[in-house]
Amino acid sequence: MESAATLTRLVRRVFYRLVVPVVSIAAALSVSGVLIVVASGNPLEAYGAMLQGAAGSIGSLATTGVRTTPILLTGLAVAISFRAGVFNVGAEGQLYVGAAFATVVAVAPLGLPGFIHVLLALLAGFVGGALWVAIPAYLRAYRGVSEVVTTLMLNFVGIYLISYLIDPITGPIGERNASYAQSALVQETARLPVLISGTSLHAGLLLGIGLAVALQILLRYTGLGFRLRMLGGNPTAARFTGMNSSRQIVIAMLISGGIAGLAGAGEVIGLRMRLYDRFSPGYGYDGIAVALLANSSPLGVILSASFFGALRAGANAMQQATGIETSLVLIIQALTILFVIFGPLRGWVATRTTRRAGLTPGGSESAP
Amino acid sequence: MPLDPAFITDWGSAGIRLATPLILATVGGVFAERSGVFNIGIEGMMLVGAFTAVATSYYLGASADPAVISLLAAIAAMLAGGGIAFIHAFLTVTRRVDQIITGAAINILALGLTNTLFRAIWGETGRERVAGFPEVRVPVLADIPVVGPILFQQSLIVFVAYFIPIIAAFVLFRTTWGLTIRAGGDFPLAVDTAGLSVTRVRYAAVLFGGAMAGLAGAALALGAVRYFTPGMTAGRGFIVLGAIVVGRWHPMIAAGACLLFGAADAFQLRAQALNLGIPYQFFIMLPYVLAVAAVAGAIGRASPPQQLGRPYRREAG
Repeated sequence: MESAATLTRLVRRVFYRLVVPVVSIAAALSVSGVLIVVASGNPLEAYGAMLQGAAGSIGSLATTGVRTTPILLTGLAVAISFRAGVFNVGAEGQLYVGAAFATVVAVAPLGLPGFIHVLLALLAGFVGGALWVAIPAYLRAYRGVSEVVTTLMLNFVGIYLISYLIDPITGPIGERNASYAQSALVQETARLPVLISGTSLHAGLLLGIGLAVALQILLRYTGLGFRLRMLGGNPTAARFTGMNSSRQIVIAMLISGGIAGLAGAGEVIGLRMRLYDRFSPGYGYDGIAVALLANSSPLGVILSASFFGALRAGANAMQQATGIETSLVLIIQALTILFVIFGPLRGWVATRTTRRAGLTPGGSESAP
Repeated sequence: MPLDPAFITDWGSAGIRLATPLILATVGGVFAERSGVFNIGIEGMMLVGAFTAVATSYYLGASADPAVISLLAAIAAMLAGGGIAFIHAFLTVTRRVDQIITGAAINILALGLTNTLFRAIWGETGRERVAGFPEVRVPVLADIPVVGPILFQQSLIVFVAYFIPIIAAFVLFRTTWGLTIRAGGDFPLAVDTAGLSVTRVRYAAVLFGGAMAGLAGAALALGAVRYFTPGMTAGRGFIVLGAIVVGRWHPMIAAGACLLFGAADAFQLRAQALNLGIPYQFFIMLPYVLAVAAVAGAIGRASPPQQLGRPYRREAG
């Protein structure tokens, strides 16, 4: 009897957690379906091909995993900042700087055992990302300067900094006389292991999943997690408890930047084995979409990143089978976010859940 | 040689040309931010404007005078930019959704839409030159050495961009409209108390900003290259955000920042051939670094409109 009630409560909670993202995705797919019809295509055929390309075989599942990995990490980076009431729009730049730091360590013939070399490269990536958010974090925490403009602008500084670093003529870590701007090859000892042989799926995915679990535990069960959530949920109350808000903001932003840096490190030592110019097609911005769809829950980020990863993995198959452009995926992604933030459904969920909990519905329409 | 008059003419002329789209979008962005709405979707609105302008010019073909076509293309681009801005206004002002997230979504939407439509119209490789803004050469003035060709021998849209910041500054600081817009961002309660609608003011400013971003896209696509390539705005919408900050939310100072950024960009394109010993990437970084320095207070006090980014709620004041 007791356990049945607990189960009902759990089902209800999961239902309310999922209703907004699932309905938003369905709405986005419907609108995109209309666009496909307008372009004289067949939406069911297109989505079928997409599903086939994303999950039809071990190979396509591996591709989905590969595409999921970077946005899982940037999604976690953005989610942790949201939870602390900070908007890190700079994951893209942090990803690049993290990738560069990891590259410096990974291309060096250190003569270390593989496991340690990989760990050092990942650590370097974390440090690089954290360093890149340090100035915005300081300005936000101690000078009251909004982090939005600073983190956003530093994205581009980071991108061009990497472009300089690996420049074949002037770059300090650029491979000389290469036809592309690229770094040297990552040492064998610094490479993330491949999970399924014959595919490119690498251990970066496990790193992301492990990190998601760790962040969930951190937020839910630790003092730091409680302080960060309080900072995000009710900054005024947080101040009245006498905690050092500035310090918590800096900690949250450094963790966020570090995780974004890990995303860059993972791409270099897991997939590409070199640092390339402009290697990220906007993973940092995708992280915003991923975090938003998951309502900033670390475990939810695993699901939402997988969804966007699958969309991307399936896009090529869809184009080959039906001739519909892969950029349709971008439209689906944007529409999903717009439906999530649009809000009527969110308001409905808020009233349903708060009424049950005996609370008055609060202003829950703004997203983070 | 950098000090050669021919080099300076070429550099200055390119600098002005590159600054033009930035100036147009920046003026629009200043209005939106002054009214209290942050818009990182300018990049996407520019992209949609560029696409619409080229597509309009393409479909009108040789049916009319190039000057008429470019005018119609510019109007279409402004309508398209304004249309996308309506989404931003609706979500951020009416629904009070987070402005950054909405803008980020708009950028992705714009990229997806223009990429898809581009391929639908021009196919995989197709890139067709269309009628662009006519070149204008101001008699007498264009004959002044160096300065003449830089300032007075340009595409028509460049001359539009000369006047827009001046008009914008006048409207913003010398008219009741301007006062209302500024109050919308600094003290919306005052707008409300005066019996005006904060919602309407912010909608107007955001739609104007979108239309200007659309026009900026048209300037980018029809000013020089006269074709569309996917993602052709290439981060200019974010340079615009930097220019607004560096220009301290003043249309004329911000336009000055755009000129500086345009000149840096034009120099960067030439620096690689000059072998100056300074990597060209540092010139590209300049706008972004200056923007961070500006908000950090390193180059004078630059404080944003007080309620920038915050939805207005009557009960909250």
